[in-house]
Amino acid sequence: MARKISRRALLQGTVLGSSAMVLGAPSVFAQASEKVIRCGVVTSLSGDNRFGGNLTRRGYDLWAEEINKLGGIEIAGERYPVKMFYGDAQSRPASGADAAVRLIIQDKVDVLFGPYTSGVTLAVQPISAKYQVPMISGSAESPNVWLPKPAFNFGMIPAVDLTSGDSIKVLAESLGSKAKTAAVVGVDEPFSKETAEGFRNGVQKTNLELLRYELFPANADLTPVISKLKADNPDIVAVGGHESVFINFVNAAVSLDYRPKALIMHYGVTSAAFISQLGEKANGVLGVSVWTAGLPYRDDLFGTASDYSELSFARWGTHPDYTEAGCSASGLVLQDAARRLGKAPPWDQKTRVELAKAIADTDIETFYGPVAFAKDGDHFHNNIKPVPVVVQIKDGKVVPVAPSNASEGDLLYPMPGAT
Amino acid sequence: MDLFLQTIINGVLIGGILISLTIGFQLTFGVLHVIDFAVGGWVMLGGYAAYWLVELAGIDPFISIFLVFALFALIGGAIGPLIYHVRTSRYARPDLMALAFTFGLFLLMRGGALWLWSYNSRNVESVFSGEFLTLGPVTIPLLRLSAFLMAIVICLGVFVLLYRTRFGMAVRAVAQNRDHAGLMGVNVKRVSAYVYGLYTGITASAGVLIATIYSVNPSVGIRYTLFAFFVAVLAGLGSVGGVLIAGLALGLMESIVSTYIGTRYSLLVVFGVLFLVLLVAPKGVLGRGI
Repeated sequence: MARKISRRALLQGTVLGSSAMVLGAPSVFAQASEKVIRCGVVTSLSGDNRFGGNLTRRGYDLWAEEINKLGGIEIAGERYPVKMFYGDAQSRPASGADAAVRLIIQDKVDVLFGPYTSGVTLAVQPISAKYQVPMISGSAESPNVWLPKPAFNFGMIPAVDLTSGDSIKVLAESLGSKAKTAAVVGVDEPFSKETAEGFRNGVQKTNLELLRYELFPANADLTPVISKLKADNPDIVAVGGHESVFINFVNAAVSLDYRPKALIMHYGVTSAAFISQLGEKANGVLGVSVWTAGLPYRDDLFGTASDYSELSFARWGTHPDYTEAGCSASGLVLQDAARRLGKAPPWDQKTRVELAKAIADTDIETFYGPVAFAKDGDHFHNNIKPVPVVVQIKDGKVVPVAPSNASEGDLLYPMPGAT
Repeated sequence: MDLFLQTIINGVLIGGILISLTIGFQLTFGVLHVIDFAVGGWVMLGGYAAYWLVELAGIDPFISIFLVFALFALIGGAIGPLIYHVRTSRYARPDLMALAFTFGLFLLMRGGALWLWSYNSRNVESVFSGEFLTLGPVTIPLLRLSAFLMAIVICLGVFVLLYRTRFGMAVRAVAQNRDHAGLMGVNVKRVSAYVYGLYTGITASAGVLIATIYSVNPSVGIRYTLFAFFVAVLAGLGSVGGVLIAGLALGLMESIVSTYIGTRYSLLVVFGVLFLVLLVAPKGVLGRGI
């Protein structure tokens, strides 16, 4: 049923609307002419991935706070503060894309910092390309992000197929002739499958004999898989999955009286939740990290990797993992590219294209390690420089054990309680 | 041969988990004619309740399971009349309304779990965690064995309740014809509420064991809802007796396919068999489903 609008209501609405436009106009113009670098962060601040999403935010924010303490990013002899804007992806790709559009259109950001998950990154990537806003992704790890050769997106963390493959090589080199066989299993879902494929490819590049490569559905019971591994008895078992799968895997293996000599999983192993939930059973499990605080890297803003870790601890109350480190290092990449670009903000579309080219030419050393983006191939615009660190859980602590330049303890092989 | 024996044992024990998960679901479908989407949610909350009781009070899951049963039976008993109200409303398609109601309940549970316990998986430790029996070449995890035994005990208990008590007679009467049962003096609303309470108590108790065997996080609910639904379909919707056979059959199938064809295809084969059952024998393995 149609409702009549009174003349008075119409007049009131018109006056209020006009006033809002008149009062709002100066702020819009001021927004465009501010001498700041407007950085948009699209990440999961709510929903299933809010924990990881907030880690990315911590990493980006820490960089912004530190650079602003110096007065901002130095461009052609003048410093420009950074101003952060946030878009909540709500752990959903579509919401991430919407948030990116809002940041670009309404907040007029000059540059984007990327989401926590690869799924959201894949959804935001076309938005950054459409509006030609460079995006530096401090977290996304799926190789699928880089396959479309995104012109405006740059990834700080090497794709998971690279890190898992390299970690097996690092482990095999450390073990030498002590390990001769390996088996790789993983969940049959995008991220985990790519991790397992990386492990498999890594095994094939070493002298290890691959006894089994098998994927299983996310909802599968793991006892049949473990019974087969127990029958094969490989020296190294590599598992591609997420934290909950790792917990289930370790529980199921223990309940079937099976513990391989070496059990390597991916990044979830380094999470506090994995260690605290499994307790003793986590002891000896190997994991992969792109960055640890003990690595011999440094830069002018954060100092050494260890300095960064302490700074992050002082700011947030927890020691950072490689996601936070990768996100903070994203800011260093922007700093370096903006300095080389030499143009004062705000950046128009043409300048943003030049900025993307400057980011593509990045070749710097940071507390996070070396950063240089691939210029071709399947990992286009992914930072493929960092060498993964193999870590091992020892008495509830994550200890880097290989390669030798990052090692802070001996590699326990066979792992405690191995059958 | 060793691997084959282990495969059979693995399959039987997986079957036990599926049975304990589905028996209550089947009972409530028989009486309320509601496909309860929240079944996985009750499993998840049962797991979290056990987690809290271990962490905060140090109560082992094998003791807390009785507390969890009582607590969730009370909660289910309170929610039961609401579902009954929706299911018997005069609005169009009350069956779909009830489905939507339980789906909403499930979302509420999941959101609440995310808020209370975050997304991280929680491991529930018991005195039997990591313990096993060794019979020749076969290893039997004690937690899984206890879940299997619990499934058998629950099945027997439900049968005794249904066929040896006056309450069971009332339940069967309501399941057969709600209106006629009402005319015979059965308080249909109360019986429905009790059955829903029994279902939530049993399912949350299954959740305690499932959380000790695997782990629990807010996303596990949907997995168990699916499994309960698949077992129920194979058993024949509403057929309590069929659950025992269907659960064991699906468990064995998953284990054998995983071991000898490929783990990747295990659920594919299981789902394929379910589709066939729906086409060929929609009343389930015992032909007693609705």
